[in-house]
Amino acid sequence: MAASFLFSQFMGGLTTAMFLFLIASGLSLVFGVMRVLNFAHGSFYMIGAYLAWQAMQWLHPLAAGFWPAALLAALGVALLGAIVERLLLRHLYGREELYQLLLTYALVLILGDVAKFIWGTGQLSVSTPPGLGGSIQILGTTQPLYSLFIIALGPAIAVAGWLVLNRTGAGRMVRAASYDREMLDALGADVGLIYTGMFVVSSFLAGLSGALVTPIESIVPGMDVLIIVQAFIVVVIGGMGSLWGTFWGSVIYGQVLAFGILIFPGFSLFSVFALMAVILIVRPWGLFGRPV
Amino acid sequence: MFRRAVLALGFVGMLVAPVAASAAEPIKIGFPIPLSGPTATYGVPILKGAELAVAEINAKGGVLGRPLELLPRDSKANADEAVRLARELIIRDNVDFLAGTLTSAEAPAVSTVAKENKIVFVAPIAKTTRLTAPENLHPYIFRLSSNTDIEGKAAATLIARWTDVKRVATIAPDYAYGRDAVAAFIANLKKLRPDIEIVDQQWPKLGEPDFTAFITAQMGKKPDAVMCDLFAGDFETFSKEARPLGYFKAIDNRLVDGAEVGTVDEAQALGADYPFGIISDTYDPVVWSGNEPAAHKAYIEHLKAFTKSKYGSGWSIMGYQSIEALADGITRAGSTDEQKVAGAMLGLTFDTPVGNRTINPKTHETDSGEFWGVMVKQAAYPFAVMKNPEFLPAAAPTN
Repeated sequence: MAASFLFSQFMGGLTTAMFLFLIASGLSLVFGVMRVLNFAHGSFYMIGAYLAWQAMQWLHPLAAGFWPAALLAALGVALLGAIVERLLLRHLYGREELYQLLLTYALVLILGDVAKFIWGTGQLSVSTPPGLGGSIQILGTTQPLYSLFIIALGPAIAVAGWLVLNRTGAGRMVRAASYDREMLDALGADVGLIYTGMFVVSSFLAGLSGALVTPIESIVPGMDVLIIVQAFIVVVIGGMGSLWGTFWGSVIYGQVLAFGILIFPGFSLFSVFALMAVILIVRPWGLFGRPV
Repeated sequence: MFRRAVLALGFVGMLVAPVAASAAEPIKIGFPIPLSGPTATYGVPILKGAELAVAEINAKGGVLGRPLELLPRDSKANADEAVRLARELIIRDNVDFLAGTLTSAEAPAVSTVAKENKIVFVAPIAKTTRLTAPENLHPYIFRLSSNTDIEGKAAATLIARWTDVKRVATIAPDYAYGRDAVAAFIANLKKLRPDIEIVDQQWPKLGEPDFTAFITAQMGKKPDAVMCDLFAGDFETFSKEARPLGYFKAIDNRLVDGAEVGTVDEAQALGADYPFGIISDTYDPVVWSGNEPAAHKAYIEHLKAFTKSKYGSGWSIMGYQSIEALADGITRAGSTDEQKVAGAMLGLTFDTPVGNRTINPKTHETDSGEFWGVMVKQAAYPFAVMKNPEFLPAAAPTN
């Protein structure tokens, strides 16, 4: 097998991985800090994709409309996240997890129907932003510029997230909230605000990844449910609530998928699920998680 | 007292009305088809085609002097729901005939209901060979669409024409339709060109969100040409990811897709992102660059006016045909008696805007091919258009 072939398979896997990291990071963050398993995270991602398309229609006269459209979509979803947290989720903290699951699952159904109602059932499409539509030659393989952009964006978000969590005052508060919510509350910190902030950041990431995926994927009803399953696998592999766990979980998922196709061509999903099963048996709390 | 008299009069009127109307009582056709969910993209234009045919036939005085009445129901692309709706249409709405269904799961399920109730059922879209396989065939089922054997043969014919192609790869969704079509393609290709080697087969799942790894893996096997069966959103994602990876360039655009991405519907959805230069199929090219039949020109004008759309749809023709076939069958039988109509449909030749179709009395199918051609850019349209549509295969496949 030629080295250049293995390299392009590796790069393909890495693109998949970094997309998954963008979406799964928000899911993992909310679980780590708020102990909320947000099923609707995939729906936020889908709404981000639809909003990006909608914003593109409004900004159509501008050639480079994609970037402002993506930002608008992410902000729109962040706002949606703020509303969901303030009006709905807030009332369920400290209750059984089952209630949160029911609420976020209900949101999946509602947002799915809302999207169908507004944007219809057909597939929508966004073109690659000018400048990133081409590709370049690396080691005798053709690499799309847009994939390279995503591969660069993933680690950048991971490092930025790590810096904010570990080197800033706000990050210290968030970490404190994840360890002991009641103690932090007793010390006079506004835990409610921290939770809202976390949820908004997580929704922003979901909306942004939904918008960024539109140039290479079609926008269709049902994309919410497909992505949430993959994001869960990544978070479970890496360890619930760990940022770096999610990062490496995504990388492993992408590579296992890319090379699994070569080894078992007829069973594209087999290798990924087999990996998840093995990790759950050996380390039930994931690669980077804490035993609970 | 006056009020009571009026009420009584109204009541009597209600009792009398159905009897008085029976002279021109409509012939009812139940039409279960997905009208919500992702597959509504196909279901809605198919229903529009059926509605157009009903409107045209009724404007000319109906069938046997009776108007046609279409009863559409949303099957949600779900076999259980389609069966429930078909039963309800028969028992509660007293429909005379059934037409419709979309997927290869719905059609065989509704066919069993048609068999139990001895009701003629015309399936316009489902491609699975199971629908009319000898063990499932019964007197009341008829299929107007192509099937996976026919599609596989047409795709093999097209790829076999490229005499310098030696290495062929396939990529198709991992469920019955994709598996059956690829199997038929390979069987036919082996007969036509024993020198060709199948170098790679990829099976992404239906609705796969990311095809990158499948694409690069396939490119690594260096195929000269590809047979593809991805459609709708899957095809769009696939082609958007494949193009910057140099996939289409590496195979010199020699990709044949048998899953109707040659429709104007799909071409419009992809717009300028369409992988121009590939070959695909459609039941109706709609925008016909080449010698367009006059009947087709008139049909498309009617369709555009009826649906108030600028270009129409490549799927409507199948809904249209299902009503035409039923109407001609009833006329030939001279009655709406199920057994007589079922008998009259065997060997029935009916005229459609895209040419004559004959129902094979042995298979209960029209053994229909589809229009195939290279998808090209044309200045007059903001989307890909099929160049010189060719009807393939010319004859039914011999198995």
